[in-house]
Amino acid sequence: MRRVSTLLWQIAIGLGALAIWEWGWAFHDRLPWLVPDLLDPYFVSKPSAIFQQFLAMSCLVGRDGAWTFATDGAFARCMGKSENNLWIATYVTLRNTLWGFLTGVSSGFALGLLLGRSDRLSEIFYPYITAFNSIPRIALAPIIILAFGIGDASKVVTAWLVVVFLVFFNTFEGARSVDRDHINAARLLGASEWQVTRTVIVPSTMAWLFASLSPAISFSLIGVIVGEFIGAEHGIGRMIIEAEARGEAAGMMVAVFVLMVAGVILSSLVRRLQSYLLRWRPAQTAAGT
Amino acid sequence: MPSTPPEAAAGRCRIEIDRLRKGFIANGREVVAVDDASFRIGDGEFVALLGPSGCGKSTILNMVATLIAPSGGAIKVDGAPVTFGRPVRHVGYVFQKDTLFPWRTVEDNVGYALELAGVPPAERKARVAEAIRQAGLDGFARFYPSSLSGGMRQRVSLMRTLISQPEILLMDEPFGALDTHTKLDMHSVLLGLWERQRQTVLFVTHDLGEALTLADRIILLSARPGRVKQDFRVDFPRPRDAVALRETRQYAELFSRIWHSLGEEFAKGRSE
Repeated sequence: MRRVSTLLWQIAIGLGALAIWEWGWAFHDRLPWLVPDLLDPYFVSKPSAIFQQFLAMSCLVGRDGAWTFATDGAFARCMGKSENNLWIATYVTLRNTLWGFLTGVSSGFALGLLLGRSDRLSEIFYPYITAFNSIPRIALAPIIILAFGIGDASKVVTAWLVVVFLVFFNTFEGARSVDRDHINAARLLGASEWQVTRTVIVPSTMAWLFASLSPAISFSLIGVIVGEFIGAEHGIGRMIIEAEARGEAAGMMVAVFVLMVAGVILSSLVRRLQSYLLRWRPAQTAAGT
Repeated sequence: MPSTPPEAAAGRCRIEIDRLRKGFIANGREVVAVDDASFRIGDGEFVALLGPSGCGKSTILNMVATLIAPSGGAIKVDGAPVTFGRPVRHVGYVFQKDTLFPWRTVEDNVGYALELAGVPPAERKARVAEAIRQAGLDGFARFYPSSLSGGMRQRVSLMRTLISQPEILLMDEPFGALDTHTKLDMHSVLLGLWERQRQTVLFVTHDLGEALTLADRIILLSARPGRVKQDFRVDFPRPRDAVALRETRQYAELFSRIWHSLGEEFAKGRSE
């Protein structure tokens, strides 16, 4: 009963917001104190216009307004017209996000494990890590574009940079907080140093790593988009910048919605992976992650 | 009761502790946890190390297990001196705290030592299944420790140690955190397993009932600093029934005799 009522509320709020967005501006002249200037379609467009724009940008509907799948080859022709069409842009952005995520997670984990288990190394590198961590990572994006060009590499590097610190710090904490008794138990059961690392330190640190995967994928997407803002040939970020230059609010909104959907799908996949990998945790903790 | 020379009671000497001493530095001054403790444990003996909390009994055990470095004296296992940080191969250890690996299932925890030793998977599987059956954990092989009760977890711990068939078993208040009934269950399980294998056991506890139920011999330690105060023989016939034993007259007699002596040490510990 409660779930049904929650769902009804959620639908009502969503429809209400869409309705205000679509028709609210019409009341601006009569009720200026109620309808803020921000609702001007010049800035935020309208749901109906955004949907039309989506159909056009995704080449589902051609210039003539007809569905492209009705005519042979129309979809391909439409796709061919724009080098940065919605499909290619989404593909490029997601691919770079994934690479940034994978490289950031693996190198962050390796570094965190190395420094977390070595008091000497962490002592030496401590000031540098603190210093680098204080730099807002995004501030480095222009330098990266300069160094790696406007191709995919610079986007992956930007994403990597954002992800690697996050994962590094989580892994570092995890590696430092491995239960001494687990290590002792393993030793007393006959584990060599290497076996202790492989069967105790890595798995217990993994739990900390997994907890950072969800923010890591979001951060990676942010890194890629920022990189694309500064300079790119393809990608959703470039699409937003282009639409902005043309003053096309609907185009920007389409890109933002695609990012939203991509973000939801990516983080739900990562959360699934996470709860599978952490299935050994007590139920209440697993639900919290 | 005069202390019995342990070598006379059992065959060859497995653990030999000679004038063992351990001091800790706390707030700039030395606190002596164990002072001049000496005893020997013969082959196949089940010895309980009994004493009030903080008397250093776990410290002694952990020194034998090579987890703590002694400040003085010597420990020999099978005639060879032990070195801190170098666990002896055929010595098993059961912790008081739950130290199961939470990311491993019951069967993977139990089979851990075999995995380390490189036992082939087929043999490992068979031995793990047998151990799980002995511990009465059938049907829980694929469970993670987080979904087991405290008593079940401690049974898994016990099997994780026993699977590699250690000849010497060190146990640090393994059932200390369990409620009375679960504890009695565990005593039956442990007695059943031990009576088949007859490992040499050094079992730390502050629970006199537990010591009497399980052990052949009770070494009573004094309050801090821990010294060997008395050494009692526990001659109840085996196999023992952990529950029925507590109803017998011999049990009650021995209980009250040791209880008096133990009580003095508890009082000393409190007045400190």
